[in-house]
Amino acid sequence: MILHILNRPPSSSLVYRDALAAMGAVDRLLLIEDGVLGALTAQVRHFQAIEGRLFALREDLSARGLEGQCDASVQVVDVDGFVTLTEEAGKTVSWF
Amino acid sequence: MRYGLLVKGAPYSSQASHSALRFAAALVARGHRLKCVFFYHDGVYNAARLAAPPQDEPHLYDAWRSLHDEHGTQLQVCIAAALRRALLDSREAERHGKSGHSVEPPFELTGLGQLIDLGREVDRLVTFAP
Amino acid sequence: MSSTVNFSGDLLVILRHAPHGSSWLREGLDAALVAAAFGQSVSLLFQSDGVLALAKGQGVGPLGQKGTATTLDMLAMYDIESLYLDPEALERFGLGEQDLLLPAAALDAASLPRLIAGHRLVLTF
Repeated sequence: MILHILNRPPSSSLVYRDALAAMGAVDRLLLIEDGVLGALTAQVRHFQAIEGRLFALREDLSARGLEGQCDASVQVVDVDGFVTLTEEAGKTVSWF
Repeated sequence: MRYGLLVKGAPYSSQASHSALRFAAALVARGHRLKCVFFYHDGVYNAARLAAPPQDEPHLYDAWRSLHDEHGTQLQVCIAAALRRALLDSREAERHGKSGHSVEPPFELTGLGQLIDLGREVDRLVTFAP
Repeated sequence: MSSTVNFSGDLLVILRHAPHGSSWLREGLDAALVAAAFGQSVSLLFQSDGVLALAKGQGVGPLGQKGTATTLDMLAMYDIESLYLDPEALERFGLGEQDLLLPAAALDAASLPRLIAGHRLVLTF
């Protein structure tokens, strides 16, 4: 399993498409920084293909006042959870 | 596990340095070893010794130094990316005939080969980009 | 293609930026060359705007900025021969194989995750 890390939102950058295309069947995607905008209910459709394997960093959501708008299908993790995800993954790939 | 971080974002211009420092604190708190942070692209500006942010903002430069002091993390800066961006240690300053220097220990100017070695030596290399 | 290509290696460098507009491409290529000089097996993937790195006819910038086309010539010298590209990205710019400086293998959708999984380290630029 590979952890992909995305810091751009689908509302302003197409890099998420390349990240999704690069993901294998069990790979996970963590949204951080501005990437967490993609976790909102109004945006999360862009990540439909990987439902259940989409994560978002709580601290970046809450700093932006968006924790309440995060879609229920997204698994929200704190920074410890971020570290855990990297432990569980064989490697990480960052998309920006 | 042994970790390395690759930081490619300039301090304060993007969130990359903040994210990397947060992640660094969390991973050492979980008992992992952070061997090295390698600075590349605009990330090399993190090594600028004269950073003087307002007192009510996080002092990123000092935070990197603490990481080194408290956990022995190496702070390596790509020399080719650094020299172009006015980041010189005293040795390079002398070599290029400049008065004053902008990088000092614990930050070290090193070649890209160190990044490649780091990738080989650690269990996880995590990139934080602008 | 997917059955004939060797998708494994030490380092995969993904190049996503066009030449001249930023230093990403040059810095990514530098990382690839250094890794190869250290004896690692290196693959390159030209993706998104990065496919333009392969376009023929690139020159220097108005201030004499070197660009990256000359660096591409050095890849073979460093034994970097596994070059891949995203065919959709190429098509987006109306380019075809005949417009490229170097041959790179077009990756189909199923091969991209395999390419990434097959390399120990993946760096994006």
